[in-house]
Amino acid sequence: MELEMKGISKSFGANLVLDNVDFSSHGGCITALLGENGAGKSTLMNILGGVIDFNGGDILLDGEKVVFRSPRESLDAGIAFIHQELNLINDLAVYENLFIGREIRKKGGMLDRNEMMAQAKAVFDEMELDLDPAAMVRDLDASYKQIVEISRAMMMNARLVIMDEPTTSLTDPEIERVFSFMRMLRKNGVGIIFISHKLREVMEICDTYTVLRDGHMVASGSIENVTPELLAKMMVGHDVRSGKNRISENLGSVVMEGRNLSDGRHFENISFSVRKGEVIGFTGLLGDGRSELFQALFGAAGKYDGSLLIDGREVRMRSTMQAVSLGIGYLPRNRKENGIVKDLSILENGSLVTLSKRRRLGLFIDWKAVKGDFEKERKELSIKMGAPSDSITSLSGGNQQKVVLAKWLSMNPKVLILDNPTQGVDVRAKEEIYEIILALAEAGVAVIVLSSEAQEIMRVCSRCFVLYHGRIIGELEHSEMNEERMMRLATGVEE
Amino acid sequence: MEVSSGKKDFVSWFKELWTQHPLFSTLIALIVMIVLQTLALGFDQGSFGEWLSMWCRNWLNILRNNATIGIISLGMTLVIITGGIDLAVGSTLVAIGAIIMIFIDGSQTGLLASAGITGFPAYLIGILMGLLAGLILGEFTGVLITWGRIPPFIATLGMMKICRSVTQQCMQTINPSVPRAFTQIANMRIGGLMFMPIVYWLIIAFIMYWISRNTAFGRHVFAVGSNEKAAKLSGINVQRVKRGVYAIMGVLVAVASVLQVSRIGSMDYANAGSGYEMDAIAAVIVGGTSMAGGRGSIAGSVLGVLIIAVMNNLLNLLGVPPFLREAFKGFIVIGAVLLQKKEKV
Repeated sequence: MELEMKGISKSFGANLVLDNVDFSSHGGCITALLGENGAGKSTLMNILGGVIDFNGGDILLDGEKVVFRSPRESLDAGIAFIHQELNLINDLAVYENLFIGREIRKKGGMLDRNEMMAQAKAVFDEMELDLDPAAMVRDLDASYKQIVEISRAMMMNARLVIMDEPTTSLTDPEIERVFSFMRMLRKNGVGIIFISHKLREVMEICDTYTVLRDGHMVASGSIENVTPELLAKMMVGHDVRSGKNRISENLGSVVMEGRNLSDGRHFENISFSVRKGEVIGFTGLLGDGRSELFQALFGAAGKYDGSLLIDGREVRMRSTMQAVSLGIGYLPRNRKENGIVKDLSILENGSLVTLSKRRRLGLFIDWKAVKGDFEKERKELSIKMGAPSDSITSLSGGNQQKVVLAKWLSMNPKVLILDNPTQGVDVRAKEEIYEIILALAEAGVAVIVLSSEAQEIMRVCSRCFVLYHGRIIGELEHSEMNEERMMRLATGVEE
Repeated sequence: MEVSSGKKDFVSWFKELWTQHPLFSTLIALIVMIVLQTLALGFDQGSFGEWLSMWCRNWLNILRNNATIGIISLGMTLVIITGGIDLAVGSTLVAIGAIIMIFIDGSQTGLLASAGITGFPAYLIGILMGLLAGLILGEFTGVLITWGRIPPFIATLGMMKICRSVTQQCMQTINPSVPRAFTQIANMRIGGLMFMPIVYWLIIAFIMYWISRNTAFGRHVFAVGSNEKAAKLSGINVQRVKRGVYAIMGVLVAVASVLQVSRIGSMDYANAGSGYEMDAIAAVIVGGTSMAGGRGSIAGSVLGVLIIAVMNNLLNLLGVPPFLREAFKGFIVIGAVLLQKKEKV
């Protein structure tokens, strides 16, 4: 099947996210779709998958113009979109997942289990897969789950498969299994669009590439003619904004130090230290293990090996209460799920950490003191809000994030871990948050910033660690930081 | 013109209150119920004074008869706000009642009486033992739910079966009696009126209201119910909060049990308290607390108990057959949740 997307444009409100983008893919070929976060990859694929509509341009399938109004219509046309979160039901067997929604029935209305199993087996045999159709999906590893989902698409006559960062949560042998399955599909004439940040993988499996940057198609061509370094450069572009980082000269003693930290799954052999008044960064691709690492050190995840030293003394972090009592604050990623409590007021959200410390008669909350504390933070962070008793959901994303930040500042943290601190906030609030981070460091707080955005790390950090598959692959001083280098490290091109 | 604009203001004011303040619709429902009930009570009396005294006596009855459920639903409110549920309250009420009765029994067979302790000291020990039993049972349930990671529905379902069955077995051979003086706790007349259960209910309601609004524990209950992950990541001891609500629930059931034993002067171990869990849950739901957790209020639950109680009274006055009354309770629970502001999926 020949796919051609011509001059596709899409805007959300006044924000133009795709500007006249051309993209093509054909059967028997694996095309890499590359770009930084926010470059427009997902938007383009969501248009192709019928998830969202578009403002201008044409989609041609085998030369014929098509319009998809829903994911269903796209699937009927032979395009299967395999999302990062798989659409499988863990508690059903493989064959039941394959036939879900279009089960084969006997005359009496009973399910024809044997027929479905036989058909599933036939498909697997054809694809040279050693997979039992009666196995429970729950028991499969992540690679087989992907394979089952793609097989389902194949049974529905899909001729083009979109795979959105399929290898993010896979181990190396699992990746190899998915890759050999992809090669088999390619041999059978199926087209694959492969979205990934891991350039080494792209070089290994893909035939052609297209790079998007800021909603524009920047380059496309045959993989044979490029190097991973060149791809990294094309993804980043040359227009690097200049941040005004202020690096403190007089750092204090080491407040937090990790030695050989591992959890056996997300991160391995991590050693780092951060001083009073220092801002350090941890960067890498999505799923590189940095969130899991610091959630473990904050006492919010399971056990870990290795040692953690706070002010030179070894501690084993068992709970978030313990972390807070040691003066560690953690602003989580995904504000909506982990940061705000939507049923509580702005004031309560902003004082959740210290509520139990502000008491009268050892029993009741001293609301006056709590309000006073919050008012101080509100001014310092310039939070734009109505009354403190208003719902937290009445605020914009940036102001919500500042309230969550206020919650941590109210406890005067020694160490502040910020996981994706500018997620979903606008450019201005972003800049304000950067200034707050730098001011905190000047006031002697040790700040650890976790972020995928190289520019963010360069803007505030004096030192950064780059992670790849849960390991530290590089440590860069501020003078050594540049986006290309960080991208090369994060994508595993450079070791 | 002016009149119509005034009307418009009233409508928009009403609309705003209705949508902004969750308690407002509950309060309106209660007022409607009271008006209907007053109409059903009739105005056949000779004088206004006579009518008023009858109206008040009717209300005294309603409140007194619902004090037990009222107290239980206060604890249930906190439990449901954390996103949990407690099905065991009726059974623990019986178990705790049996424990209290064993201690207060003034006859020869009584545990304390045979040791020479009777009267007020025995009652005090009995009540304290009851409260302690409630605390232990509640804490145990909380441990099952947090440490054992058993869903609240299942943990309390198990406790419900265990408590009643063990109590019935244990109480087969002993049959403690309640001394007359003990019944005074609930049945004492002041100025010829019996209203002590109402006083206990109101005092506890006020304490619970205060705890839920003005203690860190109370606010943490809401935080845990609304977003457990965020609460945990804010350094809140989520497990302790959860254990706490079940422990409070246990203590309040013990208070209800003291009242029940005192008011009735005996206990039917097979049937006493059965259905209390559902009545309490119904009242909490009618009072605007969300089963999903995070949203609700103690004041709402007091209103919820009153709405159901007044409705029962109304049905009684109208002569609706007893079998049908439960159906109305069902309607009102479903209706209340239909009216609540819900989030889209």
